[in-house]
Amino acid sequence: MTPELIIAIIVTVVGASTPILIAATGELVVEKAGVLNLGVEGMMLVGAIAAFITLFLTGNHYLAIALAAAAGVATSLIFGFLTLSLSANQTATGLALTIFGTGFSALAGQGYSARPVTLLGPLFPAEIATHPVWRVLFGYSALVYFSLAMVIAVWWFLKKTRAGLILRAVGENDLSAHSIGYSVVGVRYAAVAFGGAMAGIAGACFPLLLTPQWAERMTAGRGWIAVALVVFASWKPFRLLAGAYLFGLVMTMELYAKAGGGPLSVIPSELWAALPYLVTIAVLVLISIRRDASSNAPACLGRPFLPSN
Amino acid sequence: MQFRLEKRLEPSRLMLYATPIAAVLLTMVIGAVIFSLIGYDGIGAVREIFFTPLTNAFKWQDLGVKAAPLIIIGVGLSIAYRANVWNIGAEGQYVMGGLAATWVALSTYGMSGWWILPLMMLAGVIGGAAYAAIPALLKTRLGVNEILTSLMLTYASVQLVYYLVRAPWKDPMGMGFPQTRIFSEAARLPTIIPGTIVHMGVPIAVAVALIAWFVMSRSVFGYQMKVVGAAPHAARYGGFSENKTIWLAMLVSGGLAGMAGMLEVAGPFQRMVPGFPTNYGFTAIIVAFLGRLNPLGVIFAGIVMAITFVGGEVAQTSIGLSSSATGVFQAMMLFFLLAGDILVRYRIKRVAPAAEARA
Repeated sequence: MTPELIIAIIVTVVGASTPILIAATGELVVEKAGVLNLGVEGMMLVGAIAAFITLFLTGNHYLAIALAAAAGVATSLIFGFLTLSLSANQTATGLALTIFGTGFSALAGQGYSARPVTLLGPLFPAEIATHPVWRVLFGYSALVYFSLAMVIAVWWFLKKTRAGLILRAVGENDLSAHSIGYSVVGVRYAAVAFGGAMAGIAGACFPLLLTPQWAERMTAGRGWIAVALVVFASWKPFRLLAGAYLFGLVMTMELYAKAGGGPLSVIPSELWAALPYLVTIAVLVLISIRRDASSNAPACLGRPFLPSN
Repeated sequence: MQFRLEKRLEPSRLMLYATPIAAVLLTMVIGAVIFSLIGYDGIGAVREIFFTPLTNAFKWQDLGVKAAPLIIIGVGLSIAYRANVWNIGAEGQYVMGGLAATWVALSTYGMSGWWILPLMMLAGVIGGAAYAAIPALLKTRLGVNEILTSLMLTYASVQLVYYLVRAPWKDPMGMGFPQTRIFSEAARLPTIIPGTIVHMGVPIAVAVALIAWFVMSRSVFGYQMKVVGAAPHAARYGGFSENKTIWLAMLVSGGLAGMAGMLEVAGPFQRMVPGFPTNYGFTAIIVAFLGRLNPLGVIFAGIVMAITFVGGEVAQTSIGLSSSATGVFQAMMLFFLLAGDILVRYRIKRVAPAAEARA
């Protein structure tokens, strides 16, 4: 392997990991507040089509990201209203949200499937990233730096701020948090909306960062992998990085195998395509053998909250 | 004026059965409004999707054929969800059932005999149940979340279909198309009403639902599933094993999904093609909920969902509505149903303005 190839691989891995990392960071906050939103995949698809249409009509990448976030928030509020205000079953509502997002994005994206757009370019000017080593550090688009910044920000927020403490309290013991006067439902709405914004931006990564076009179901289960990643990370933000880049590596290997990349192409391409999902299962198995995973889950995860009156 | 929710002592039976009907009606009304607002022919969409399949007698056979797999899978899922076992990988189990049946059909290619179809059925059920056994094993042994594993296995199963029809099972006379050859006569489901496409799967679906209803309401098995789902502590106290329940729920729901896969591949498809995964396994989740996790309710929910599928196809040709609109309508139906759930457990109380002022 030449250094150039290694660098090219690193850059591809980071790109492929970014949407999963962003979505998982959002879902981690949601789950820390005690809410299990399984609609990540659906919110990502709504974000992806919102970003694509905005980009196609305006050519402005940053406006596309902003509107993808807004679309993600709007979609997540459907979930929030049903589960938080009406205390509907979170598992079922999350599934419904994914079914909705899949259908809605396909409907909204009708007629956009063969239209090309341009990818979001690197954040830093090309002069900085001339040397291959600098490319590994400075050769990415803003979305990649955003994903890393958000991991740090979420860690800081949960660990170091008062608001983060309240959010964790709501997720660990909703009744106590309620009895000392915090709005459990309010905090959870905020967390769900944050998760929606992050899922929307994660969806925007697909047309903006990976393939400059719209295709139905283009997120291909990455939203579900993001949900699994939160379990894998035992609800700890920095562990998301390791998990996301592991998946990025597997997906990059798939790309190289499909492009006829020497020894990788011995294995049928379909097995490569199935690998991220099989790796997810393997990782969940490994993490459960270690046993600290489930004990670290927020105690109120998935439980509806209605103050008794 | 303020409203307040007050918990009912007992879930309301009336609301339990009225809310699914209300959800369907609300979907039509709100759906028509929303689709009009975003620039489609909203009333036309609702008319084509919900009513044309019923008024057009030519479409009735389509309804039966579409409803059959939804009912069979939906019955299995309703049993699993009753036990609080969240198998959402029915699509994958459906695919594996179809593949197992295809394997039998290809191995017996050119043979004839009454035993081929029952053997395919057996293979389909075993294929689906075996695929569901993986999440069951991981859940009971290691506590791995069954939602994620069953779903990930679905994505993997779709790739397996692509591989098999592209390489080892490819039709040698298929002019390069990635698909198997058409099954022999003995491996194809006969139609039961001459001149239509209605096959054995339709009466089988009704029979499955009736048997499941009987088992769930009259047997210890059904009681165990319901108790473990509704009151896990009481179930443990009563000596019902939680792990055994998870296994039963997974195997039954997986086996039924596999059965549906066999019926589809031997019936409408008659060969394995890359387009075999048709999302029946996911739509059946909505069917199970809309049917209130009751096998008899699932029959009606399956028919309603089949209407939207057939109607979606009608709307595609008659008013040029994208087939994905069907998914939006189906999701809306589930949203309204879940929202209505609160009326089952709570009653809405009007709070007098004076009391509000004091509070």
